[in-house]
Amino acid sequence: MSNSIGTNIIRIILLFLAQILIFKHITFGVADFAYIHFIIYPVSFLLLPIRTPSIILLPLSFLIGLGVDIFYDSPGVHASASVFSAYFRSLVIAFLEPYDGYNVDDVPNIKRMGFGYFVSYMSIVLLAHMLFYFSVEAFSFVYVFDIFLKTIFSFIMSFLVIVIMLSIFKTKY
Amino acid sequence: MYNVIQLFAKYGGHILFVILEIICFYLVINFNQGQKDIYLNSSQVYAGKLAAQSAKVSNYTNLNRVNDSLMRENANLIENLIAIEYASDLIPDTDSLYDRYDLIPTSICNSTVNLTNNHITLCSGSREGVERDMGVISSNNGIIGIVRNVTENFAHVISLLNSQSKISCSIKSRNGHGSLRWRDLDPLRVSLVDVPKHEKIAVGDTVITSGYSTMFPRGIMVGSIEKFIVVSGSNNYLITVKLFNDLTNVRYAYVIKNRYGGEQKSLEKEVLE
Repeated sequence: MSNSIGTNIIRIILLFLAQILIFKHITFGVADFAYIHFIIYPVSFLLLPIRTPSIILLPLSFLIGLGVDIFYDSPGVHASASVFSAYFRSLVIAFLEPYDGYNVDDVPNIKRMGFGYFVSYMSIVLLAHMLFYFSVEAFSFVYVFDIFLKTIFSFIMSFLVIVIMLSIFKTKY
Repeated sequence: MYNVIQLFAKYGGHILFVILEIICFYLVINFNQGQKDIYLNSSQVYAGKLAAQSAKVSNYTNLNRVNDSLMRENANLIENLIAIEYASDLIPDTDSLYDRYDLIPTSICNSTVNLTNNHITLCSGSREGVERDMGVISSNNGIIGIVRNVTENFAHVISLLNSQSKISCSIKSRNGHGSLRWRDLDPLRVSLVDVPKHEKIAVGDTVITSGYSTMFPRGIMVGSIEKFIVVSGSNNYLITVKLFNDLTNVRYAYVIKNRYGGEQKSLEKEVLE
């Protein structure tokens, strides 16, 4: 258990630093419109154990989002998306529950739940996170086309990066 | 208490989610210029739309009443015009009264009726030509008060329902005149004092303005005599007049502009000095 907590704290810090130091500066786009943003920090709270109580999960995601916001200079935008995806995560976990149910100490990562489970879980929640984030960033349904474009391209690229990263740094928890 | 705790245990996650999202959106709206602009702009658009809709509906429901009042008003004005035309025929070598008085139509912004000294604010001021000491009449029969202060867009009127108001009135087709005072805090009744007791009057007689001041022309209908007494030891009647207009729900008014008012006043002032 203490091992799990330590691993998660280290992962949160490393992903946070990677997000604000590296991925913040990488954007790709056509002309001056950036379609591709790398958003990988949600992994830090999406890989918390399945039984994590929401009384811890939601404030933690809020704080992580707020921390990212401070460096993105957009107070509340990342935080709202993080809180949303942390909340949405429990619905997806319930939806993807295997026939024999979860074990007490299950973690939604590749090693414990299998690659198929991980891909469906992570892609659904990350897509929701991106959609929410870009919607709040634009803050108006006038830009709905841009929101969808950004969501799809950013999702594909971020998801690739996440899978590669998690394949390199394999953790038990 | 136990129930509340249970409720939190059961739905705590959802409640927490909602609370955190509210905090987030508060931050988003308050600290991000782009989102703030969009939020303010669209909320104004919706608020404006709502206000416009409600104004439309209320205007529509009021149309009948407004129309009635306008028609009555028109009828009165035409009657008055004819009366004034005929009256002016009787006084040769003077300008007709029709030329002497201008009416400035206006609406009422604010009014009180429940105090001892009531005041009214008109939505027109010096820009529309309203000046100090002009009389104000209502769209139905009746007088409203006297302009006391004027700014560019507003005029402050001392209501008829004010212990300081004093308007010279006479009784239609009878002799004698007195002054109209407001004494007993009833917005529908005023007192006419200083009419000498040798004059013949009757209950139901119409009280009109006397035209002895520069504020009101002669013949504006004020009210009808409800009862009268002679106070013992006094030489005058104390007459209770029931007003024709109800000052509690008056919305439109006319300010009377007397073209020769200033001339008359300066002359009188000269004599007094």
